[in-house]
Amino acid sequence: MQTSVSVPAIAIESVTKRFGDITAVDDVSLEIRPGEVLALLGPNGAGKTTLLDMVLGFADPNAGSIRAFGDTPKRAASNGHIGAVLQDGGLLDDLTVGETIKMIAACHYSHAPVADVMRRAGVSDFATRKVKKCSGGQKQRLRFALALLTDPQLLILDEPTAGLDATARREFWDTMHAEAQRGRTIVFATHYLREADDYADRVVLMLQGRVIADGSVDDMTAGLQRKLSAQWISATDPYDWAATVGLTPEQVDYDAKLQRIRIATPDTDRIAEQLLAAKVIRHLNIVQPGIEEAFFSLTESTGQEVTS
Amino acid sequence: MTTTIPTPQHTRAQKSQTEILLRFVGWEFWRNFRMLDATFFVLVLPAAMYLMFGVGMDQGELPAGYGNVSAYVMTSMAVYGAVIATTAMAGSAAVERNMGWGRQLNLTGLTEANYIVGKMLMALLMAISPIVIVYIVGAFTGAQFDSFGHWLSSAALCLVVAIPFSLYGLAFALLFRSETAVGAASGFLVIFAFFGNLFIPLGGVLLDIAKFTPLYGPAMLARWPQTEGMLIPMQEGVEVQFESIWLLFVNVGAWTAIFGAICLFASRRRTSR
Repeated sequence: MQTSVSVPAIAIESVTKRFGDITAVDDVSLEIRPGEVLALLGPNGAGKTTLLDMVLGFADPNAGSIRAFGDTPKRAASNGHIGAVLQDGGLLDDLTVGETIKMIAACHYSHAPVADVMRRAGVSDFATRKVKKCSGGQKQRLRFALALLTDPQLLILDEPTAGLDATARREFWDTMHAEAQRGRTIVFATHYLREADDYADRVVLMLQGRVIADGSVDDMTAGLQRKLSAQWISATDPYDWAATVGLTPEQVDYDAKLQRIRIATPDTDRIAEQLLAAKVIRHLNIVQPGIEEAFFSLTESTGQEVTS
Repeated sequence: MTTTIPTPQHTRAQKSQTEILLRFVGWEFWRNFRMLDATFFVLVLPAAMYLMFGVGMDQGELPAGYGNVSAYVMTSMAVYGAVIATTAMAGSAAVERNMGWGRQLNLTGLTEANYIVGKMLMALLMAISPIVIVYIVGAFTGAQFDSFGHWLSSAALCLVVAIPFSLYGLAFALLFRSETAVGAASGFLVIFAFFGNLFIPLGGVLLDIAKFTPLYGPAMLARWPQTEGMLIPMQEGVEVQFESIWLLFVNVGAWTAIFGAICLFASRRRTSR
């Protein structure tokens, strides 16, 4: 059966999951379309892993429903439509890398050629190494190979680069990028905001079990103020000067010792032009707000809402 | 950069559930076979100890119940091997699942039920192996029962009494969640085996203590076809005592309940965390 384009990869409808008194996932609805690369962001305990566990069929929601390719998550997963890179663990120390892949392959209804998968995940070089002796990055590549075994339409990665060093992280994402270009749907949870920024075309931000923002990185950063910084070289008081171009003292932050001025404004272009024309600064630097700023501004405002 | 669409599932041959189960068991067998440090204790040690205690000590040919002393030691060592096997298999299965391997397998075509069936098949195979090995070695080195039926019933009982020890292995795995703990559980079996009257015949206070230890009941039950509860005395000339079968049932029942209760307690603690 071929999945038609109209069927969403994942359809999450009003899903709630409670553990005792704690509501880990609180009335979440989300539709993931085929071909999307979606980053699930949020602090620890936001409910990301719980949500992904339900998408993989490891747990059932207390309320609401989840469909994966029009089927139950459990069936979709065991049929090989969903591949997952699970958080740490999930491997047997006594097997070699190659054996692990072959053993999991033996348990699938059908799978892609093992050699092919090993090459794509980049594990061929250490296929004969015992899992026990593998580095964190190598283990992660192995988990990735296991996820690719069935050529799944959807890949789920739960904090795939946690604990990896910078090089291993970049290598991992390079491989992932290649898979995204093959047309796979990819959903990954991360707390590295940079990764969401660099690789996702859609970002879903979770906090306290709820989705508090859903959109592209540009959407999320659009309303935020850009920041401009420079070295102040004029004898005039920077706050006085700022007032002449219509900036409030709150938008200006001046460090007299470092002679550094910082200005937050949505219209950095106009201010920059005037700063340069007045010749009061040098080493001008304009900072685009990243997802980091969006993340903090969103989590902060929601936090206040919750406590008030 | 290639932009090939992933090959659809239906173009490849699909395995059946049975084929998946058999392949899984095949892999499990290979894994266990290769972990020689562990299999040594299960496969080689009981047979070696039988040769030391049952053959090497030259009372082997003395009669004991419906067989000879060699047969008595043979059954004891087979029980020892079998309980190590069930302890280790159940324990390591639980540790594997705890470490996330179960989740990995959940994403395959292997169903939860077939996983359990596969693991039980493996445990059975691993428990039967030392029994068969020790009995074969015994048959060639002078162990004798009065009838062929005694061979079969003793061997079968060795297997049956070893089954509750899967709960013992499981309890260690759930409490401490590490392969080392499962190894320790197997290690403690040496002490239980000593008190269970498996290595040397106990007497006096030691025998009184022994009746409360977890391997006493299983060992005596496995030897029941031969001894019917006879306790082989330490020295010659001492009056031969007989153990009541009810006490053995109580021993096995109580320890099974204790192991089971620890498992329940440990798994509750784990989920409530």
